[in-house]
Amino acid sequence: MLNILLRYTNLIIITLFILSLLSFALAYLFPGDPIEIMTGLKLEELQKLQNQSVNIGYDPEGGVLSQYGHYMSELFSGNWGVSFNSGQPLYEEIMQSLPASIELSAYALTISLILGLPLGFIAALRHHKLPDYTLLSFSVVGYSIPVFWLALILILVFSLHFGWLPLSGRLSLIFDVPNKTGFILIDILMSDIDNKHAVLLDALRHLILPTLSIAIVTTTLILRITRRSVIETLNSEFIQAAYARGLTTRQVLVRHGIRNALIPILPLLAMQFPTLLTNAMIVETIFSWPGIGSWLIQAIYQQDYSAIQAGMLAVSVFVVLFTMSIDMLLRLTDPKRKKVERGTI
Amino acid sequence: MARFNLYQEEQHPSPLQYTWLEFQKNHIAMGGLVCLVLFILITVFCPLLAPFDPNLQKTGNILVPPSWDANGGITHIFGTDGLGRDILSRVLYGCRMTFGISILLVVFALLVGVGLGAIAGMSKGFRSSFLNHTLDSIQAIPTILIAIIIIAILGTGLVNSMWAIVLALIPQFVHQTRDFVRSELSKEYVMAARLDGASKIQLFARSILPNMGETLVMQATLALSISILDISALGFLNLGAQAPSSELGALLSQGIEVAYIAPWNIALPGGALFLMVVSVNIVGDGLRSALKNRLLH
Repeated sequence: MLNILLRYTNLIIITLFILSLLSFALAYLFPGDPIEIMTGLKLEELQKLQNQSVNIGYDPEGGVLSQYGHYMSELFSGNWGVSFNSGQPLYEEIMQSLPASIELSAYALTISLILGLPLGFIAALRHHKLPDYTLLSFSVVGYSIPVFWLALILILVFSLHFGWLPLSGRLSLIFDVPNKTGFILIDILMSDIDNKHAVLLDALRHLILPTLSIAIVTTTLILRITRRSVIETLNSEFIQAAYARGLTTRQVLVRHGIRNALIPILPLLAMQFPTLLTNAMIVETIFSWPGIGSWLIQAIYQQDYSAIQAGMLAVSVFVVLFTMSIDMLLRLTDPKRKKVERGTI
Repeated sequence: MARFNLYQEEQHPSPLQYTWLEFQKNHIAMGGLVCLVLFILITVFCPLLAPFDPNLQKTGNILVPPSWDANGGITHIFGTDGLGRDILSRVLYGCRMTFGISILLVVFALLVGVGLGAIAGMSKGFRSSFLNHTLDSIQAIPTILIAIIIIAILGTGLVNSMWAIVLALIPQFVHQTRDFVRSELSKEYVMAARLDGASKIQLFARSILPNMGETLVMQATLALSISILDISALGFLNLGAQAPSSELGALLSQGIEVAYIAPWNIALPGGALFLMVVSVNIVGDGLRSALKNRLLH
């Protein structure tokens, strides 16, 4: 146990170190002056600050190593530079948009799990029968649908044609909710504004379409993974042994089937995390959801290299921490698991 | 089909024939295959099929509805867009671009991935574990992030977005190859070849590679669907193919401007894209179950 924890901590630290090196290198790879990209300030402004004897650690003569040291110390003190375009501190911008993305993906993932797992079980238990074929064809359709097209169609139908749901954003402009955690629903519940119910309803109405566009694709992925895993489990020998002992189908499922089928699902789900994030980023752009995905894509359009550098680092650190902790959790809970398993959906 | 057999000899189909026989039994998969062949034909013979030049602008025929609409005409079967360009031609050229490029990318990723996977599978120790960790970290990063970095360094454009997708596709081929090579290396036919004095390269090329073909084809179909979705997504976000080009994702993003008054501008390119991915996925699924059922014989 301790051994595994130590190994993973080690791995995480090394990976984060490599990521920081890569991020530092990006400043040299992007077009423009490295110091401008790292700080987001123009060279003249930096020199002006230096002349005013403000100690900003600007040392153009220092070697790459000392530059990296300064870069890291600034990163850890929360000073991530400012955006080329807006001039706002990047740390605050990222800390506002990252929760919005996490919120959207979390709701989508929850809905997909609630729908996908039971449907996967139903399909597997009725293997090679009508429900299985129906669900499987539904899953092929959902899994092949381009998420941006789906989002556009949903907008066309539900926002423009019927006018039931709002087109974009997180909240109507008439409401003003103070930003505390960055998670809109939590913010609303924590705040003490009038008409809390109306605001909450409005936020939920804004959430429906983006969540649905991500959830449809993710649900089908989960359905396929679950179905495959359950079928494989039900074909294994200990299930036959359970039947041979005279247990009913229900008993076999509850005592042996479900738990063993769920074990291989989680690592496969974790492998789909990048897909979920990619879809979330695309959907954010379409619905003008103020998350990290649309923020990064805006930064690309505006060639805001300081923002791209900081945003990349934040997102990749988040992804690495998330995947590695899930991996570690799996290693700790499943003794059979020796190595990272890879499978297909 | 039961056929009268004059001779008493038993026929043993080759593994490839078995796969085909199994595949044929699955009617949906056959439908997908027909669709896929259709897309390949479009990719190859696109200039012959398209009625107009995809960039020809007819200022007199702006936003003509498709022919099944009451106001539509027969000249433009799928209607025209905001600049009076024929949508059928644009969709056909778009299919060619998206599908052709995706196939190229998959083939490239397959070659590189199988090469690296072979090295990782045949070698032990540091080299293989270094490769594993690097690939795992690449695989954990969403394609769109890789694309954003590459595009930020090199600038937007179709070719730059292609690099990003290749980079994202390679790891799965490496894993597949490495796992396969590992499991085959312990089998006896490989041992026999090794006892005959075959070198590592010969072992891989003569003994292992021929057995890997079908699994690789299956993996390639999966990669193809991912590649199609990714390249069109980047085109849609204006990070890949740029505006006048008729790549399907770029077509969709151009259609947004007139989406409300002319919904066929996004419905038809998206539908073509959807059909393409569905057919690739159905063929991949069919192949996978055919391979699995073949082993049951």
